[in-house]
Amino acid sequence: MTDEPTAHSSTPFPSTPGHLAPDDVGLVTSLDFVLPRPFTFKNSQPLDGLTLRYETYGTLNATRDNAVLICHALSGNHHAAGWHSPTDKKPGWWNNLIGPGKAVDTRRFFVICANVPGGCSGSTGPSSTNPATGEPYGLRFPALTILDMVRAQKLLLDHLGVAELHTVIGGSMGGMTALLFAIEFPNFTRRLLAMATTAREGAQAIAFNEVGRQAIMQDPGWNNGDYPPNGGPRVGLAIARMMAHITYLSDASMDRKFGRRTIQSREKSPQLSAELALSDPQLSTLNSQPAAAAADFNLQFEVESYLRHQGQTFINRFDANSYLYITRALDQFDLDHAYGSLEQAFAPVLAESLIVGFTSDWLFPPEQNRQIAQALLRAGKRTSYAELSTDLGHDSFLLESEELYALIRGFLERTPPATTADFAI
Amino acid sequence: MTPPAEKRTVDMQIIADWVEPHTRVLDLGCGRGELLDYLIQSKQVSALGVDLDFEKISACVRRGVPAYQGDMIACMAAFPARHFDRVICSRTVQELTAPATVIAEALRVARSVTVGFVNHAFWKNRLDLLTRGRKAQNAVYTTTWAESRPANPVSVADFEDFCATQNIRITRRVHLDGDWKYPCTMLPNLLAGYALYDLTK
Repeated sequence: MTDEPTAHSSTPFPSTPGHLAPDDVGLVTSLDFVLPRPFTFKNSQPLDGLTLRYETYGTLNATRDNAVLICHALSGNHHAAGWHSPTDKKPGWWNNLIGPGKAVDTRRFFVICANVPGGCSGSTGPSSTNPATGEPYGLRFPALTILDMVRAQKLLLDHLGVAELHTVIGGSMGGMTALLFAIEFPNFTRRLLAMATTAREGAQAIAFNEVGRQAIMQDPGWNNGDYPPNGGPRVGLAIARMMAHITYLSDASMDRKFGRRTIQSREKSPQLSAELALSDPQLSTLNSQPAAAAADFNLQFEVESYLRHQGQTFINRFDANSYLYITRALDQFDLDHAYGSLEQAFAPVLAESLIVGFTSDWLFPPEQNRQIAQALLRAGKRTSYAELSTDLGHDSFLLESEELYALIRGFLERTPPATTADFAI
Repeated sequence: MTPPAEKRTVDMQIIADWVEPHTRVLDLGCGRGELLDYLIQSKQVSALGVDLDFEKISACVRRGVPAYQGDMIACMAAFPARHFDRVICSRTVQELTAPATVIAEALRVARSVTVGFVNHAFWKNRLDLLTRGRKAQNAVYTTTWAESRPANPVSVADFEDFCATQNIRITRRVHLDGDWKYPCTMLPNLLAGYALYDLTK
């Protein structure tokens, strides 16, 4: 759910620009798909002129069946791999996984990633201009569900001429999207790879989402969702992100990264303190406290500085109303309830599935991933479940891990088993 | 003596003979999925393996054998009675913490349960202990005490007693000689190197 792999994926030779690395997709351009007719959301509300911003890597083959759909998480977007410009500081959020020769091999697959509807990275969302009013939609944007994300992305795939999905891949919210893709479009979806996800947003996850929403909605800048572009509840959104970010990590990983190190000790390391510098004047309420409290409550620990940095970067790229809509879509996600039971939900699935849990993920713990695999198996589906031992928390699915790459590559590249028995004894 | 790696295939062939085509098979302790791969190809079974190790699950996924990473008892508990036609427990039973529970649970989720194990009462093992006073070390038990995993060795007599007391019906049994090739027809608890059973409740 963070927008970067847990370790830096850039080449070991810092002098070589990342986009020129041989296993990198290089410079990429985002594209827009504009639906030529109204899109009707699950709650029956129509929206004129839905736009989905997306990127593709690799080439669709002649049989149009080598497409891999990447589904992003809550704060992710369509920029999954490659670089928008040679001067970009960071590549797409899953650049460590996607590229020529990488686990999702773009020499072999036509990889697609789209920003979800309701998002704020180019797809139509609450911050888009409502053609009826000339103002941003704000809360007039239709209520959003994961199913809407699935249906909208299916329209994009149809538009791109994809005959069937070789694989749909996603982690976290992307995992929910992937599951629903396999359920709703069984004849279209050949393989399903869902990681660090759940079939049913539990009370704890809803609770965290609610704290984030309250932080936004209690910020006077939110103004019932009516705020100008680049304005709005910046402090509320930053706090929501700070809190949510904690749920993507783990006690062990935070302690390893920050320990109890203080800012004073950090200042001896100018490079690191520059990385954590805060300069956004609009975040002043986070940066400078009332004078009386300053001595005790100003920044002391590195972890505080890190979270403020996370909050600050987030408000510069994310829309508060999108955050409300998408977290609500997550809360509504409950396959058991929507289909009667998890087995019934998975009954139509024709895809071969791989579900992956991560031991230290306490947002969507291994048990919730196991339940998905078990229900698929009970429903008689070809399913595997793997569990990776990591201490990086929920964001482990973005981990740079040869073990994880080998698993994913193995799942994607395996050709269907031969029917003839030619096993050598 | 042939090395154990090759011996695996003997076990595999007998189990394959017992497995009916197009049935649902669960392999407890599936390792890298060799047996299930063979059964998928030769008997077109609908297969699932269970193993604790990520690398083994990854190997199964790579060869297209569905596999579940986790505890075998917890895995079986997720299935209704008779979900599978057969549960296979090949050369795993001696490493289980609760073998009786595993076999009982296997008999719940499947019509038949195939158990294969190295007969620890094989005369050479007895001789080893009697003459050398040491943990058996040979082509089957390759490691010294210090390098070995905890094991709960089982003999033909132990296993048959267990089945009798638990009212488990043995529908088929195969005892193999010390070479794990030819049938052992007499005194299996002393002379069999390997034993295979097909069980039903």
